[in-house]
Amino acid sequence: MNNTDIVRQSLKKRYLKEQIFKFMGMFSIATAILFLLILLVDITTKAMPAFSQTKIALPINLDAEKLGLDANSSTESMMNADFRLVIRAALLEQFPEVTKRKAKRELYSLTSMGAEFQLRDMVIEDPSLIGQTKTIEFMADDDVDAVIKGSIDRTLPESDRRVKDQKLSWIESLEKSGQISTGFNWNFFSNGDSREPEMAGIKGAVLGSLFTLLVTLALSFPVAVAAAIYLEEFAPKNRFIDFIEININNLAAVPSIVFGLLGLAVFINFFSMPRSAPLVGGIVLSLMTLPTIIIASRSAIKAVPPSLREAALGLGASKMQSVFHHVLPAALPGILTGTIIGMAQALGETAPLLMIGMVAFIVDIPQSAVDPSTVLPIQVYLWADSPERGFLAKTSAAILVLLFFLVAMNAIAIYLRKKFEKKW
Amino acid sequence: MNESVLNELAEPVSRVISKPETEDSLNIEYTATVGQPLCDDAKFSTKNVDVYYADNQAIHDVTLDIGANEVIALIGPSGCGKSTYLRTLNRMNDTIDICRVEGQILLDGKDIYRKKQDPVLLRARVGMVFQKPNPFPKSIYDNVAYGPKIHGLTRNKSELDDLVEEALIKAGLFQEVKDRLHAPGTGLSGGQQQRLCIARTIAVQPEVILMDEPASALDPIATAKIEELINELKENFTIVIVTHSMQQAARVSQRTAYFHMGRLIEVGETDQIFTNPAHDLTEKYITGRFG
Repeated sequence: MNNTDIVRQSLKKRYLKEQIFKFMGMFSIATAILFLLILLVDITTKAMPAFSQTKIALPINLDAEKLGLDANSSTESMMNADFRLVIRAALLEQFPEVTKRKAKRELYSLTSMGAEFQLRDMVIEDPSLIGQTKTIEFMADDDVDAVIKGSIDRTLPESDRRVKDQKLSWIESLEKSGQISTGFNWNFFSNGDSREPEMAGIKGAVLGSLFTLLVTLALSFPVAVAAAIYLEEFAPKNRFIDFIEININNLAAVPSIVFGLLGLAVFINFFSMPRSAPLVGGIVLSLMTLPTIIIASRSAIKAVPPSLREAALGLGASKMQSVFHHVLPAALPGILTGTIIGMAQALGETAPLLMIGMVAFIVDIPQSAVDPSTVLPIQVYLWADSPERGFLAKTSAAILVLLFFLVAMNAIAIYLRKKFEKKW
Repeated sequence: MNESVLNELAEPVSRVISKPETEDSLNIEYTATVGQPLCDDAKFSTKNVDVYYADNQAIHDVTLDIGANEVIALIGPSGCGKSTYLRTLNRMNDTIDICRVEGQILLDGKDIYRKKQDPVLLRARVGMVFQKPNPFPKSIYDNVAYGPKIHGLTRNKSELDDLVEEALIKAGLFQEVKDRLHAPGTGLSGGQQQRLCIARTIAVQPEVILMDEPASALDPIATAKIEELINELKENFTIVIVTHSMQQAARVSQRTAYFHMGRLIEVGETDQIFTNPAHDLTEKYITGRFG
């Protein structure tokens, strides 16, 4: 047997191995895509109800006497007026047969708790409404919302159903008269958190995340890039610097909750910084992001061809000039990519923020980095923990918003890399 | 079969065949430099220079003068230390932590390794062109303007424009790029890039230009242009050129120094080195028996 025959014989086995490997690769990719699709489809379908809101249209008589207001009343007296009265009157007028106290209470719960504030804001905006009768669409309560969206099954026996027959009959009569409508749920994007699912919104958490990330970026980017430049370009090669390098690498692997404990002990207890504030959250997250950015920046700086440094030095540029005029611009795409990966990590981080009190139930929308607030992943956690049915959809919707921000940040990273990348 | 033949088969007598000489056979213990390392009008004067990379000695006791406005070629086989020697002249070796230079290197009579010598100032006086063209990833204009800008050589934009144009003209590149001064320098051909690097170096108006195999990455036509350029530049600059091409050394230089295993073996007039080398090793190298 000559060599050609030996090679020919082994060929079959070699090609088979290649085929098996290719198949396994394709199988892995297909599995990954499948799971991703399942995840996305599941979240999206669950989130859809959160983006629409059921409304009930009621003819409201804004009786000046009942409200104790007239067109010239001050804003303050309008704030204190009892708008609940007129809404209740309108509901009673719709269903005059309800007389019992308990039944009345049930009836009043058709509209959301937020309805009176909605009405109050409308009147403050336009005081001329006082004394008029006008049909106004109010947010429905989450139970009504659930019935309309079908998440409460009307065909179940009454004992198994959260919404009882009496209430269901009111809802159905309102439906028949065309007073019930559904529209896009703008409140979800413009409200803060709430105990009532129909009033709960994501804005507080989005702004909280934004402030937190701004603090993180402002602290970690300059510090990390400066550290990377020093370590890579200026630092002497000795034991101490090696020690620092090892520690930076180890820091990247420290469990994030440890950073939270550190933040609690140092920033809140020792420095008396505000609790639940994005400022402290940002500082804690920047400690966590620093090693990520330093490591990415160092490898980006290391990848800059030495000929570029030599060219600058050969012309008489100082070390500093050669770094800032030539090395840094060339390393910028890599540095930015590392930064955005670090920021995306920080955006999704929950554990350290639990420790510094950002898990509190906060209704107000934060106006600055020192206001108490929460962040997107913690909002997801809070809503997932709530018993009301309406929060199920809200949880998924909040996850979608979080995913949207992550995708957007990665898109920015790709754009920046393409923009700053230069061909050699 | 008789006995003598059998003996020869068992123990073959070594026959003298002219084998190509290996590096080992040329190993030298110590040879004093042959020729004339010193000159009257010295720009650079190096005395007993030793260079070490950690414990490894790369340059042994080199004494060599480089005359003002001369072109001196450093030749020798790979790894003989000629590039290392070149890089000691503008202290580019400072960037290598483990590199240590001993001995004396005088530029216009002053030691460039003395404490007070600023390496940045030295590199403004002693420019360097590298083996691989390495333009900055910027426009052609910015490449040339960078040196004058960081040193503050010009007072305003129009002076800078003139300086850039002059440098490009001197480097013989202006005609080719005058319409696209703001196109990226990395978009030029290899030879043009190298001439751009030369233009960039002469824009700083140094006194000495060090060239580390400036044409080794270029084709013959681009190489010819670079050589032509060197011939023009020698009017104004002192040029030290490291080259692997003996023809190139013969074409552009007045003096040639031959390095071997970190030692300066022979130095002399280029004509004399190539026609009548005094040292055995030089002769072997230029006749192509190793290297």
